[in-house]
Amino acid sequence: MKGDRVFITGMGIVSSLGSGVQEHYDSLRNNRSGIKPLTLFPLSEGNRHPAGEITGFEWDRSVPRTHGLALAAAKEALSGRNTVPDAVIIGTTTGGMALTEELLRKGEKRPDCYRYHSTSSVAEYCAAALRCPGLIVTVTNACSSGSAAIKLALELLRTGKATCVLAGGADSLCRLTYYGFNSLQLIDPEGSRPLDRSRRGMSVAEGSAMVLLEASASAPEGAIAEVLGGGLSCDAHHPATPHPEGAGALAAMGRAIKDAGTASSGIEYINLHGTGTKDNDLAEAAAIRALFGGAVPPLSSIKGATGHSLAAAGAIEAVVCSMVIRDGFIPGNTGCTDPDPELKVSPVLKALDKKTGTVLSNSFGFGGNNACLVLGDPAAPRKTRPHGTAAVFEILGGACVTGAGDLARTIASLQEGKNCGGTLPLPDISKNLPAREVRRLKRLPRLALALALDARNAASQDPASIFFGTAWGPLSETYDFLTKLYESDEQFTSPTDFVGSVHNAPAGQIAIWLKATGANITATGGDYSFEQSLFAASLAAGSGETLLVMGADEHHEELSPLFDGSVRAGKDPADGGGALILKKTESPAGPCIAPLFFENYAASPGAIASLVRSLGGADGINATCAAVFAGMPGGEKASCRKQLDEFLDATGYTGPVIDYRALLGEFGTVTAAAAAVAAQCAKEGMVPAALASGAALQLRGKRLLMVGLGSFVTAMEITA
Amino acid sequence: MEQLINELKEKIIDTLDLIDITPEDFKEDDPLVGGKLGIDSIDILELAMMIDKEYGIKIDNKELGQKVFSTLRTLAEHIHKNRKG
Repeated sequence: MKGDRVFITGMGIVSSLGSGVQEHYDSLRNNRSGIKPLTLFPLSEGNRHPAGEITGFEWDRSVPRTHGLALAAAKEALSGRNTVPDAVIIGTTTGGMALTEELLRKGEKRPDCYRYHSTSSVAEYCAAALRCPGLIVTVTNACSSGSAAIKLALELLRTGKATCVLAGGADSLCRLTYYGFNSLQLIDPEGSRPLDRSRRGMSVAEGSAMVLLEASASAPEGAIAEVLGGGLSCDAHHPATPHPEGAGALAAMGRAIKDAGTASSGIEYINLHGTGTKDNDLAEAAAIRALFGGAVPPLSSIKGATGHSLAAAGAIEAVVCSMVIRDGFIPGNTGCTDPDPELKVSPVLKALDKKTGTVLSNSFGFGGNNACLVLGDPAAPRKTRPHGTAAVFEILGGACVTGAGDLARTIASLQEGKNCGGTLPLPDISKNLPAREVRRLKRLPRLALALALDARNAASQDPASIFFGTAWGPLSETYDFLTKLYESDEQFTSPTDFVGSVHNAPAGQIAIWLKATGANITATGGDYSFEQSLFAASLAAGSGETLLVMGADEHHEELSPLFDGSVRAGKDPADGGGALILKKTESPAGPCIAPLFFENYAASPGAIASLVRSLGGADGINATCAAVFAGMPGGEKASCRKQLDEFLDATGYTGPVIDYRALLGEFGTVTAAAAAVAAQCAKEGMVPAALASGAALQLRGKRLLMVGLGSFVTAMEITA
Repeated sequence: MEQLINELKEKIIDTLDLIDITPEDFKEDDPLVGGKLGIDSIDILELAMMIDKEYGIKIDNKELGQKVFSTLRTLAEHIHKNRKG
């Protein structure tokens, strides 16, 4: 029986230490560092600090550097095998930013030049190259993205719905992150020296690592390590500074160790997040002392060797931890010569031979996002674990924002047959937010906060974990950061805008406001971001947990039309989103939502037939489905119509098909707003006449199907 | 010095969008961070950027920042001492 244990059967890595597993082994064994003066782009006077650049990296220049790094690692992970992964889950924070920032500086106005800007395009590019037909998730959780992606892949394999998943992270160096961390005074001018008494910060770096994960009852041939467990948490403390006692780090480590079925005494090595900033190293050491007491195992950070490669870091360190297990050595804490006594932990300074069976790898990031993994010896005998029980998500409350206003106003407008697409003025979005506390927040975080608070009030329950989908992230902050940077010849920029520009900043803000210390995942899957966040929730939310699943996007006058083909195809600018408070339960007492289907149309041309089959065939669909909410992105309208026709032909379905983008506006996460509207319909047991093509439609126990079309074919159901 | 302090009050309110704060709310010897003004560590970095841009003075590490941004007066004194011309 498959799906019991999860093994790493292939891995690929590229960082400032070199290309491939072997070069990393050699570098780490010899305590080499890849940190050196940055040459990838010219730096302004007074801001020239060393970085973890990959010199001599060659890639297909028709895509941005991050994409090239990701594919290089993915290819090594597959190492010539013909394996086609069932799913691809990749963490990245910058996507095509390295190219986009150059294009913007040149004033490039041709949208086609920006087609690889989005973070989602990295996973999509790899999935296309590997012909992956199934679920694709892009995790944009700042510096914990790579580890969080592996945790989600682990959970997907545990469900038994996939047997082989490619997971990892990738980020290339770019001006946004380099000058951003520089503006926060978090770069060590002498190169990163994690845990050293005189450390002054990190070295910004680039890289990628991917692991091929396979589910199996016992170690398959060639298994390198076993992924025993993962733990997620959120500090809910500050956008950019860790909790001083490392409360979130402690929670994530504890959850990972528990998930692995072991105890802190079972951990034989800790691969630290260890960025080299004063605050991170202090908080991480405090959390480790709290968890391990007087029995702290050997530990080290490799970021003095690799630099800090942001979303790639957790994946790179998972690969290094797999080498630790397979090759029997512990990497040294390169860069540290005089350990800081204030930390009260002693790192392994030089690489040493040591047989190690079980290791813990830490990754922490902006937004207070923490992800820890526990890896182990694949040959060790272990008890298999049963598949999880089939819990569902009961909808406790919902909210949306469209051009018409909140959920009540949106539904009222729909009932009057009005189009709700538009951009609500900022004061309207902010009307329930205290002015002083949101003074630094621009459009997207305000939209997100307003949605979260509305949904929380509708449900009268606080969520523990948060799953946030956004196609484009905070565009205003990104644009303002780069504009200030370029206007000053790269001398000045805004640290506030940098912290705000991170895609997971809105979810981090919500966590602070709602004190949500559970998992906190930002999924950036373009037009399918809300679906990805719901899938992520189905993988990472605990049984009985209350969670917030939402999506939001802002319209930005300059960037939205450049980046988003559907925005260009839409009549008027539109933005907003939707939010649902859910409870994962085995015995729901009201309407429920469930993610059902996700296929990559380019690699699965039979996706519509496959969708119909998975929904119970024509008979099943006609017997159970009251209405179809169809998501047809304007940029792909022709192929969406073709797919819809194929669906209607295959099923003979004649009920209402609600083209919600035509009603609610063209923006990436309009699906979240549509889900909130559909959830309200389910709650009231009817679809209003204006939506149901003529007469009000009683649901009578039937479900609402939300079908996403275009590059991906997706389905979610909302049951009354 | 008084003139510089008044100038800084305006610039700080403007840089940090302290919408409901007036120059009169600033007390020269009150702590800048963590008080009723609602200024935190990211704001201090934003102010460091502003001081560099407006006065050509770099405050580029945390230790120095903690001293200089202790109060409005310590900030004014640091600028007064280090500004060119």
